[in-house]
Amino acid sequence: MQTQAHALILMGALIAAGLALGGGAIGAAIGDGLAGNATIQGVARQPEAQGRLQVIMFLIVGLVEAMYFINLALGFYFITSIGKP
Amino acid sequence: MIQLLAEAAPGNHPTITICGGSGYLCTYNYDTLISTAIAVVITLALGLWVAATLRRGTPRKLQMLFELFLGYVRNLSRETVGNDVPAFVMPLAATIGFFILVSNWMDFFPLAQPVEPPAADLNFTLAMGLVVFVLVQAYAIRVRGLGGYLKHYTRPEGMNPIIRTLFIPLNIIEEVVKPVTLALRLFGNVFAGILMVYLLGLWFGAFAGNGPVDSALAALPVVFLIVWKAFDVFFIGTIQAFIFMLLTVIYFGMAREGVEAPEQLEPAHA
Repeated sequence: MQTQAHALILMGALIAAGLALGGGAIGAAIGDGLAGNATIQGVARQPEAQGRLQVIMFLIVGLVEAMYFINLALGFYFITSIGKP
Repeated sequence: MIQLLAEAAPGNHPTITICGGSGYLCTYNYDTLISTAIAVVITLALGLWVAATLRRGTPRKLQMLFELFLGYVRNLSRETVGNDVPAFVMPLAATIGFFILVSNWMDFFPLAQPVEPPAADLNFTLAMGLVVFVLVQAYAIRVRGLGGYLKHYTRPEGMNPIIRTLFIPLNIIEEVVKPVTLALRLFGNVFAGILMVYLLGLWFGAFAGNGPVDSALAALPVVFLIVWKAFDVFFIGTIQAFIFMLLTVIYFGMAREGVEAPEQLEPAHA
């Protein structure tokens, strides 16, 4: 009974982590795409600003992907802490 | 079973208890203490060495890099906070940025359990986030005065009092969330980095030494590992150190937002 309940909890945790990671990946991809889109438009309008725009773009990409990595790390954290019998 | 890296699962920190009891304040993750100490020593050694071998005229390479970096941070803080930026903001931001850079780049070496990138422990990043938070609040109180500081929680200004009262919880949340996101961002990135290394190591361990086909497949995680290490340490590690520094300066700028800076000071120079 005990192990069955634990297995159910672990199953729920894994499904939840999978959902969170999938949704987070969608969000991070959209954010990266928006940052890249804006950079391409900026470079097309002002090619000489490419260097400065790329620095800002990588900064934004770092900020956007940080959200996904927080997702990933906390998901793993919760799985391991719940998964302990 | 052959193992690529003898690493414990990330997230399990060995603890040490110093003051007898099993209280919360007595237990420390000693792996984080060790790796933080190493990062502190490297940071201090580099900084003191550059300071000791300073010279005018043609600087050494490392001195030139430091000058470039510090000049950039000074410019950034003058542009973001204002011309009357307090003297401690630039050294604080530069130290935080450089220290995180060193502690992230430590991960380039194949570290085993007692030594790992310190930012993979939430306590480390949360401590730095709290330091920044406390200093920002102190600076805000000093710039605005206590009354102005408390009044600032009733943004947006110029609305009627009922709406401004409704905004108080939002503003408090906005303030409290700052150190938390600062800490979680750095922690999540570095922790995900060592988590990926751990998983690739498991993959290698499952395939290696099980016959010719499996052994050939075991080369795949090794390639991934090399690519991931380079990407994780030199791209993500650098960018996260820079973002932490940038946000520190930006928070100081937000703390004095709307308070006029004196104009007669010299303009920010490159």
